[in-house]
Amino acid sequence: MNDAIIVEGISKSFRRYSSDRPASLKEAMLRGLIGLGAKEKFWALRDVSFSIAPGKMVGVIGTNGAGKSTLLRLLGSVGKPDAGKITVQGRIGALLDLTSGFHPDLTGRENVFVSGVIFGLTRRAVTERFDEIVAFAGLEKFIDNPVRTYSTGMQMRLGFAVAIHTQPNILLIDEVLAVGDLAFQQKCLERIKQFKERGCTIMLISHDASQVTQFCDEAISLRAGKIVAHGKPEIVVGEYVAEMADETRRRTPLTQPVVVAPCGRELRVNENRFGSMEMKVSGVRLLDREGLPAKEICGGHPLTVGIEYETTGAISEPIFCVSVTRSHDGFVCYDTSTAAQGLAMPTLSGNGQITLTIERLDLADGEYYVDVGIFEREWAYAYDYHWHVYPLRIRALRGNKGIIAPPQRWRFAGGI
Amino acid sequence: MIHALSERAAVGTSRKDILLSQAVYLRDLLRELVLRDIKVQYKSSLLGVAWSLLNPLFQLLVFVFLFRVVMPLGISNYGAFAFSGMLAWSWFQLSMTQATGAITSHRELIRRPGFPAAILPVITVTTNLMHLLFALPLLLIFIFFSTGQLNVTILALPLVMMLQFILTLSLAYVLATANVLFRDTQHLVGVFLQLLFYFTPVFYSAQQVPQKYQMLYQLNPMVHIVAAYRDLLLFGKMPNLMVMLFLALAASGLLIVGYRIFMHSRDRFVEEL
Repeated sequence: MNDAIIVEGISKSFRRYSSDRPASLKEAMLRGLIGLGAKEKFWALRDVSFSIAPGKMVGVIGTNGAGKSTLLRLLGSVGKPDAGKITVQGRIGALLDLTSGFHPDLTGRENVFVSGVIFGLTRRAVTERFDEIVAFAGLEKFIDNPVRTYSTGMQMRLGFAVAIHTQPNILLIDEVLAVGDLAFQQKCLERIKQFKERGCTIMLISHDASQVTQFCDEAISLRAGKIVAHGKPEIVVGEYVAEMADETRRRTPLTQPVVVAPCGRELRVNENRFGSMEMKVSGVRLLDREGLPAKEICGGHPLTVGIEYETTGAISEPIFCVSVTRSHDGFVCYDTSTAAQGLAMPTLSGNGQITLTIERLDLADGEYYVDVGIFEREWAYAYDYHWHVYPLRIRALRGNKGIIAPPQRWRFAGGI
Repeated sequence: MIHALSERAAVGTSRKDILLSQAVYLRDLLRELVLRDIKVQYKSSLLGVAWSLLNPLFQLLVFVFLFRVVMPLGISNYGAFAFSGMLAWSWFQLSMTQATGAITSHRELIRRPGFPAAILPVITVTTNLMHLLFALPLLLIFIFFSTGQLNVTILALPLVMMLQFILTLSLAYVLATANVLFRDTQHLVGVFLQLLFYFTPVFYSAQQVPQKYQMLYQLNPMVHIVAAYRDLLLFGKMPNLMVMLFLALAASGLLIVGYRIFMHSRDRFVEEL
């Protein structure tokens, strides 16, 4: 069978212009044509080859600047590779820049038509699918209002609804599955599954490694423009995650002095503290339901984790992460992050505080650690990660086995 | 576009069908985007379509005051004369100014897989043609009231418009490309157009230019285009056919060159934006 996508040894370089490159005709004329050439070349993709069978869903993972987006654009024939060849069988659809055709002053209805033709539909096709598109976005009531009155979520939903009503043989998706609320995301995933069942080949770029293991048949891991792994998602993602841990270790400055955490424990680099230290966790407080500092709480009670941070420069969209691990075997009982909750942090600088409140912590009786970390916006490495520093004792009904101890009640209704 | 064609070829339709569906698609794309531009312009303004008319009318008022009252040029039916020249000129000028930014201001469209970037300058030129068409009925009324008649030669107007369309579009391709590489092309174009405005017989007649400058003067293609509009609309005669034929050939050649330059740089747009 013919492959849907065949990529043979493609390379793509971008010119990194020196900062004094003339940006205008005036400057170019004043200085002659000497400064015109590019000073530096960097390779966004280097000798990348792979092929994808029709109907497969492939996840592409890699850190920022690994070449994921460049690869996707080249597949969509936006730009040309410097070397190599791309063969694509079928009509390409793309889920990227979803709201790019929208004009804020036009109504939702008008924008659906404009956006539809931009996505490659004829006017007739848009007319035929119009009701379906609007219903999918759930915007029937607002469709004749100007798009500027829509929330960002509504705009994204409408953009997604239009994009998904095209009939591509190959679908390119760039980080857009985090659109709207959970119900809508579910709907989008359903729709993507339907595409797949119809034999549509899908390339998905994602920072979310778990999404790739969950949905994809194959995964490709890119690093610095090269493919480092291509194969089963579990394996490729596993390697990627391990690589990320290496990256953190590599970036951890060894000269960091030993400090004593407020809980009395020493923070030692590469023992219980990891990270590049561009941003530091300067304090962690565990609070019980009264809002008082606690080292011990009752099972089923709320727990608030207050994290104080300090930064040396501006840090863009860091991810805060909290997990609860069992102290005797390090088992992760609970793990959450701002990213997992779809909470995008702004660019942070200076000092500040963030708190996480867990409404009920129904863990079994025992000793635990609350591990706290701040990660790079794409999980590429840790800024600062405190591992097994903050102990937490949970008191709960004894005698139960297992990880959790939810409220429970036996009721017996047999005859005696 | 070639790419899109080969894509559809894979689905197994005949070449004719592919070309046809591609043509339908491009027509729809052009129509929707032109419509969008026009709607946007009129939605954000109080007077709506009237702006198409008010702008040239005010300018006309200035010309009439200056060149009929203050320093008369001795042109009969001066209002209709200046109005016809102005409509043709503003189509050209607005298209040029806007087309220069056609690529730089549509970054997100250029970066869309499958989007035919070459349509962007066409959209700009077409949008401004629509403005001319909105104002055309007013011009015809104007002509009828000042000359007392409408000439049959008006029917040939679409041909001249087509010629102007091709000429404008070919320049639009070159300017849009240049502006991606050098962002101050936009300013340069502005200055150059202002200059060209005075070297085009918009508010005066080409015959008033002294003989010794005529050779140089006639090199400006807009001189002939504006003259052709007036011949057809006002004077009821056919424009110089040899000149028109020559212009048509030159404009077509220029269009091919401009389009080539545009397509050649197309892959660089993504990187430069």
